[in-house]
Amino acid sequence: MAWQQQQPPRPMQPYGYNNFVPQPGMPGMPPQPPPGSGDSAFYNSDLIRTGLGAYGEKLFGSSKDYVQSNISRFLAGQDIHYYFQLNEQYVKNKLKIILFPFLHKGHWTRIAEQVAGGITYKPPRYDINAPDLYIPLMALATYVVLRCYALGFTGKFSPAVMQSSFSHGIGAWLVEVILVKGMLFAVGSGEVPWLDTLAYSGYSLVGMSVSIAATISSKYLFYFALLWTGICMGVFLVKTLKRVFLAEVRSYERDSSKHHYLLLFVAIAQVPIFLWFTRL
Amino acid sequence: MAQRRAPGIPPQQHQQVPFVPQQQPQAPMRPMPPTPGLPFLSFDIGNSGYGGSAPLQQPGYSSSSSASTGFGAAFEDEPPLLEELGINPSQILQKTKSVLIPFRRNLNLHEDADLSGPFLFCILFGLCQLLAGKLHFGVILGWGSLASGFLYTVANLLSGTRGTLDLYRSFSLVGYSLLPMILFSALSLLVPRQGAPIYVMAGLIVLWCTWSCTSLLVVLSPHSEEQKRLIAYACLIIYMAFALLIIF
Repeated sequence: MAWQQQQPPRPMQPYGYNNFVPQPGMPGMPPQPPPGSGDSAFYNSDLIRTGLGAYGEKLFGSSKDYVQSNISRFLAGQDIHYYFQLNEQYVKNKLKIILFPFLHKGHWTRIAEQVAGGITYKPPRYDINAPDLYIPLMALATYVVLRCYALGFTGKFSPAVMQSSFSHGIGAWLVEVILVKGMLFAVGSGEVPWLDTLAYSGYSLVGMSVSIAATISSKYLFYFALLWTGICMGVFLVKTLKRVFLAEVRSYERDSSKHHYLLLFVAIAQVPIFLWFTRL
Repeated sequence: MAQRRAPGIPPQQHQQVPFVPQQQPQAPMRPMPPTPGLPFLSFDIGNSGYGGSAPLQQPGYSSSSSASTGFGAAFEDEPPLLEELGINPSQILQKTKSVLIPFRRNLNLHEDADLSGPFLFCILFGLCQLLAGKLHFGVILGWGSLASGFLYTVANLLSGTRGTLDLYRSFSLVGYSLLPMILFSALSLLVPRQGAPIYVMAGLIVLWCTWSCTSLLVVLSPHSEEQKRLIAYACLIIYMAFALLIIF
């Protein structure tokens, strides 16, 4: 199955990884579809194909095309595999940056390289400042499970709590996305890929998980962890977004005070958001 | 017909005892002998009964008899039920042992994914939880499906183009690695709910489950060796969630 690039490359868009061919087959499973069959995202077609087998083709034939066209239109030019090209060292160092951003001695700009379609950024494996989606996803899962544990220690756990914790986690991520996206629109750069925004905002879930873990131990530790991770997340977002603004915005608007006020607002807004979502 | 009197009651000839005709239980209705002109279904069991009604039901009779002999032949040719369902008990047992005994195991058994072992483990898990007073069958099934979907997503995204995990196998792996959880559930019945022992046990069992699931995943898709800890963290989250059910 070839990943189809359905739009002409935009300046920020091609990450240089075309034609991903996820191979789901194993011996004995249904044969793979012929190449060039026009399928894209694996989580769209593979799930349906392996899950429902022959019936899937019958039931989902027409709606699959509709969903595929919509999803691929949304994600066209955004290559989700870019955000998962990691190794363990990247994850360890990125976590250190998120939790102790002031200790980061290097620079904060992403490494860009020029290819035929425009500028691409190096994948997370080679660039510590590149965003990734693995850490936010794992942080969401950790947040959910830790919140259930914290509620369990206060005696309020039941299986339905897992669903409410998941809603809280998604809500936290959504609030952060809205905040960051709002900042980007206010600055006027609407061309940052959605997945980048998702990644940057998802890093806040790491801090929230740490705060919830601190809740389990003691109240004082919780407030300390809350302040610490909130402030650190503020610093992290300021430094990252500043680089994003610089990369996106036209030259005559650089270093304007409007940028600085917006960044300050983002930093200050982190602690209330953390408090909102780490309350049990 | 003689009137029956209860024993011990002296006969009173002058009393007007209402006359209750009593019917003796009679012999069962004997079938009327078949008259030549009237075909009659007799109640004899056996083929002679069919013979009695043969003129009326000739076509049906012949087809039913041929069908009965046809069914007889097909029934003997059918494969045994377990084989037909694809359940292989000896393989399930071997896979179970490979999860239980952490050393010297042949992990390639799990190449051939099957869902009957995991299903059995889910039911056993539910039973152990039931002994603790918690009705968690649906929860376990739901969480298991979500967990295997989560693992499927994460493993495939991390492996990029070389992902070979499919949802069926993911469910099979998560299900087989759930076996230590069943032990934990059974043991947690014997341990007080608050206090250190249960948390220590939880930690050990969660680590056991994670280790088993990760090694199975790495064996089945060898190129993910360098991302072993990343996948292990995903498995850890899954089993911590299951341990939640047992502890609280």
